[in-house]
Amino acid sequence: MFLLKFSTVINKQIREKNTSCLIVLYIMAVSAVHLESDAFLVCMNHALSTEKEEVMGLCIGEVDTNRIVHIHSVIILRRSDKRKDRVEISPEQLSAASTEAERLAEMTGRPMRVVGWYHSHPHITVWPSHVDVRTQAMYQMMDQGFVGLIFSCFIEDKNTKTGRVLYTCFQSVQAQKGSEYERIEIPIHVIPHEAIGKVCLESAVELPRILCQEEQDTYRRIHSLSHLDPITKIHNGSVFTKNLCSQMSAISGPLLQWLEDRLELNKHSIIKLQEEKERLTQELASL
Amino acid sequence: MERLVYSVCAKDCGLGAYVSIMAASISGYTFSSVCYHSANTNSDHEGFLLGEVRQEETLSISDSHIGSSEFVSVIEVHNHEPCAQLFSFYDYAGNVNEENLNRILKDRRKNVIGWYRFRRNTQQQMSFREQVIHKQLTNILGIPDLVFLLFSFISTANSSTHALEYVLFRPNRNYNQRISLSIPNLGNTSQQEYKVSSVPNTSKNYAGVIKEHGNEFFDKDGVMKDIRAIFQVYSALQQRVQAVCCEVDQSERVREKIQEEVNKLKEEIALRKRNRAEEERRLQEAAAVPLPDNSALPDSSQSSPTQVVLSGPSVEPSVERPVNSSSPPIYSTTLPPDSPSAILLPRPQAVGSPGHPSPSLGLGNGDGSSSDSLNRQATGQEDGDDEDSSEYENLVSEQLQPPSLTETVTLGRPATLWPDGDAHSPPGS
Repeated sequence: MFLLKFSTVINKQIREKNTSCLIVLYIMAVSAVHLESDAFLVCMNHALSTEKEEVMGLCIGEVDTNRIVHIHSVIILRRSDKRKDRVEISPEQLSAASTEAERLAEMTGRPMRVVGWYHSHPHITVWPSHVDVRTQAMYQMMDQGFVGLIFSCFIEDKNTKTGRVLYTCFQSVQAQKGSEYERIEIPIHVIPHEAIGKVCLESAVELPRILCQEEQDTYRRIHSLSHLDPITKIHNGSVFTKNLCSQMSAISGPLLQWLEDRLELNKHSIIKLQEEKERLTQELASL
Repeated sequence: MERLVYSVCAKDCGLGAYVSIMAASISGYTFSSVCYHSANTNSDHEGFLLGEVRQEETLSISDSHIGSSEFVSVIEVHNHEPCAQLFSFYDYAGNVNEENLNRILKDRRKNVIGWYRFRRNTQQQMSFREQVIHKQLTNILGIPDLVFLLFSFISTANSSTHALEYVLFRPNRNYNQRISLSIPNLGNTSQQEYKVSSVPNTSKNYAGVIKEHGNEFFDKDGVMKDIRAIFQVYSALQQRVQAVCCEVDQSERVREKIQEEVNKLKEEIALRKRNRAEEERRLQEAAAVPLPDNSALPDSSQSSPTQVVLSGPSVEPSVERPVNSSSPPIYSTTLPPDSPSAILLPRPQAVGSPGHPSPSLGLGNGDGSSSDSLNRQATGQEDGDDEDSSEYENLVSEQLQPPSLTETVTLGRPATLWPDGDAHSPPGS
């Protein structure tokens, strides 16, 4: 893979230098992550969309002079390799995400770029695996401020019937001994953001489209097989129909319901805010 | 033994069979929305759960019995109605105000199946006030099996890892029964059900029949008609999603704009009140100072010797912090830049502390709710609750590295509560 070859060369060069300086460098790269609550909402939506495989996406935002990474929105990605714990992002996806970040920068007037990635750990611990830590280390080769987020969900303690959702933020640093990488913990705070941003809404409604696209691509590959008899083709067509129905009932339907509820809530909030505005205007006039 | 299951959408089965709650479910979008609303407030957050209770009858047939049926109830949470602030429908004594309740719920009152509360750094059990409120809500809303969903938020001392725990209570049953809450989702999307090869068959009859009748499933382009049909349904649905999304976006921008205007008005009012108070104070001081000789002091352009200022308690300028402050709160970062051992963090004094080297005292409201403060301390003490809240004092992360490089804190539950017990990497990593 391109990233792997590139990183191997860089890794060798770094090992030949003083690694203790590198450790300090990694520590100083990022001091904290501030995740806007509407971006957090999209991450949660995405992570809770499936418990059978890991989902992933990219974080868009900026880094300030205090080395705080501000994540303003996220981009949901398709997973080309759906094997367990294989959440590497291809160079093409990174490039497409950068283009999207530029578009968001123009839309918001802020210098946006890809600042990190997130993925989910359904039914497993929130801590990054060795693969995750190595993947994160490779991204840091290109951008030392790159951060990784993990959302752990669908965890339940059967005894106390307590469910849990966890999230963590980390970076990677080279271990003092050996060539393995270790994680370092990065403080992460969810920043209140009362209104859901346009870019976050667009990302949220992208999920059903991505799921359908994945299903269509798979079906096209199967459909192109010419040696299948009609019964098998009917079977495959039914599988496609079934899967699309699952997506609509599990994702599109609840998404639409949430959007309608949000619209209703906003309408009520606007009325209340208008009333408050009038009251405050009168109070100001009396002062 | 056969088991037949069919569901009846009725709240009361009326057959006198044994009814027990089997499970409950909540949409992932509703769950995320509650987390979102909770994240937007520094204090507790609460609201109502809307949905329906579905009865399912399980019919068992065995060799020894002709048939026995068991009715189970499944709670489905469809959405939630968040309360804009605490104490919006009850007072400090826990007395519920039905008028305020109706104002919040409006015509959604009939859809209420429970209520929820989000708290930080507290135990996973109902507080005394919550129990009192729950009883009243049960009577007022006329829902015998009203449920209560408790969210509890805890963090590591360095704020790198956060956990949201949730428990669904059935308080009107014995021993405050807990119900397992599931989040329906897409499940398996590995697409392994597609067949890449057909079962080998040399029968000409078979090939002939399936070709002749199988063609009815395909259109002239060789594409299955069902696929076109279902894709049309999907496209129409996605278009509607996009359309409603645009409406939501517009409403968000309008709301944001009005909120900003409200914030500005509040700031302006606060500023004018401050200025007025300052002016009054200056006038009071001017009136209190005896007039000097004309030759000694310069002429003051601000003197108003005829104005008599009544001395009273000085008006403290109340700088009202807007509910939705435009400037983000300052969160402490726990990695001092100049420290070479920045990753060696101090042991946490309390869960959820911002990791600041000298955490300040948090202000609790006495019932376990956190105050409107960024310093989240483990209050833990509920009304009438004498248990030690130190259960959540430590939050330990799984160690993948030598202890010298990372700080470890345990989550506030014993290790046995972790389903997998350890945090070894999944196979293949």
